[in-house]
Amino acid sequence: MKSKLILLVEDNPDDVKLTLKAFERSRLANEVEVASDGVEAIDFLFGTGKHASRDLSIMPELVLLDLKMPRMDGLEVLRRIRSDERTKMLPVVVLTSSLEDKDRVESYRLGTNSYVRKPVDFHQFVDAVLQLGLYWMVLNETA
Amino acid sequence: MSASSKRLTGSVLPEVDAGDFAEEKARLEETKRAVFNILEDSAREKERLEETHRALLNILEDSAEEKAMAEATQRAMLNLLEDFDVERSKAEAANRELRASFESLRLANEATEAANREIEAFSYSVSHDLRTPLRGVAGFSQLLLADYSEKLDDEGQDYLRRIAAAAERMGGLIDDLLKLARLSRAAMERGRVNLTAIVEKILERLRLAHSDRTVETIVAPGVTVFGDERLLTIVLENLLENAWKFTQNREAATIEFGAKPGSEEIACFVRDNGAGFDMTYAGKLFQPFQRLHKLDEFPGTGIGLATVKRIIERHGGRVWIEGAMDHGTTAHFAIPRSTEEEK
Ligand SMILES: Nc1ncnc2c1ncn2[C@@H]1O[C@H](COP(=O)(O)OP(=O)(O)OP(=O)(O)O)[C@@H](O)[C@H]1O
Ligand SMILES: [Mg+2]
Repeated sequence: MKSKLILLVEDNPDDVKLTLKAFERSRLANEVEVASDGVEAIDFLFGTGKHASRDLSIMPELVLLDLKMPRMDGLEVLRRIRSDERTKMLPVVVLTSSLEDKDRVESYRLGTNSYVRKPVDFHQFVDAVLQLGLYWMVLNETA
Repeated sequence: MSASSKRLTGSVLPEVDAGDFAEEKARLEETKRAVFNILEDSAREKERLEETHRALLNILEDSAEEKAMAEATQRAMLNLLEDFDVERSKAEAANRELRASFESLRLANEATEAANREIEAFSYSVSHDLRTPLRGVAGFSQLLLADYSEKLDDEGQDYLRRIAAAAERMGGLIDDLLKLARLSRAAMERGRVNLTAIVEKILERLRLAHSDRTVETIVAPGVTVFGDERLLTIVLENLLENAWKFTQNREAATIEFGAKPGSEEIACFVRDNGAGFDMTYAGKLFQPFQRLHKLDEFPGTGIGLATVKRIIERHGGRVWIEGAMDHGTTAHFAIPRSTEEEK
């Protein structure tokens, strides 16, 4: 399977590290671009700001989106992804610490493809990432 | 007869002849009759007038009575109005009081809403912000164990395992606390709830999850209450899971669900013949994180009964628990019969 690009939008460096480790473990050798908040994510997706010179023909296959972030939060990023023709169909998985129903409901309302709560346990986290990766990167390929 | 002849006799008196006088007399008679007639008529007229007068007097008399009556009525009405006035000022006072209490109710509601919003914001922050560093602690100690265990001796590895386990447990505690907080703010949707059906379903699930155990179950048929189905399911889950857990060392474990419908409330219980507990601490068990058994023997957070209490109290009911060391436990909850259910 050829390596595919994943955009990880996460402000907490520990969570970034753990997510990258989880991807490593899951042996879905993917290339991961990290955006440390919503503004960076939007810049990356639409080639603006610090990503103004980026080649927009390379788009991620999957966006992993944290909700609570400084500057622009995950829900706003999701809203912008869904309202732009270029990214409307992009698979987005909300990956968050929140157990709040309203976050889940709002994420689905705004069109997320899945909603995953980050488990405290690292092994469970690896499992979750593995399943997500398998689902969105492998199963979607045949679709 | 001619005037010249009268003049001719020279008399001062009018010359009246017999024929003339008779004529005059007849005319007088006629006049007299006419006058009589007139007088007669006038007498009749007078009588009629008197009659009218009497009638008028009668009418006036009646009208005086009428007037007295009218006056009495008026007085009564005035009295009524006066009473009415008193009533009205009473009503106004009551209204003012009502308005004042509405106002304070509105203020209290506002305060409650503000408090709820605060709790919501707080639990959101707990849910998100407390779990994040915890995931770091748990995650990196697990990564250390996985990738660097050869660089650590047994004791070092043991410490790491403890760190990971403690972080894990704290994650569980945070989640349970959040769930409890959420229960307190969730809106209630009341309806007729079939507790028997719910109990059967939970026991079925427990049996499937623990196929290694044989537990005799006795379930009272047709127990229904008026309440929130989702919340009451959580109550029964907690009580039955406790009964299931604390009978795990019994050869012949028995779990019973029963109810005693009273006139005011329906009292239900979940009874088991398991480990039981020391009644001295019975009151404490409904507080969060209070446990009487060792974690390695009977695992748990200690949030179950606190949850049960919170839910039953939201139904206006009460909870209590009885047990004896090694002689089983009976957990009770009573839910008031609602007037709403008659609707
Ligand atoms: N059926 C029972 N038999 C014996 N002890 C009980 C029983 N039910 C409750 N207890 C005692 O009350 C304590 C509190 O019960 P509770 O259900 O709140 O917590 P838990 O079962 O320990 O944990 P959790 O329900 O959060 O997983 C228990 O730890 C136990 O000591
Ligand atoms: Mg329990």
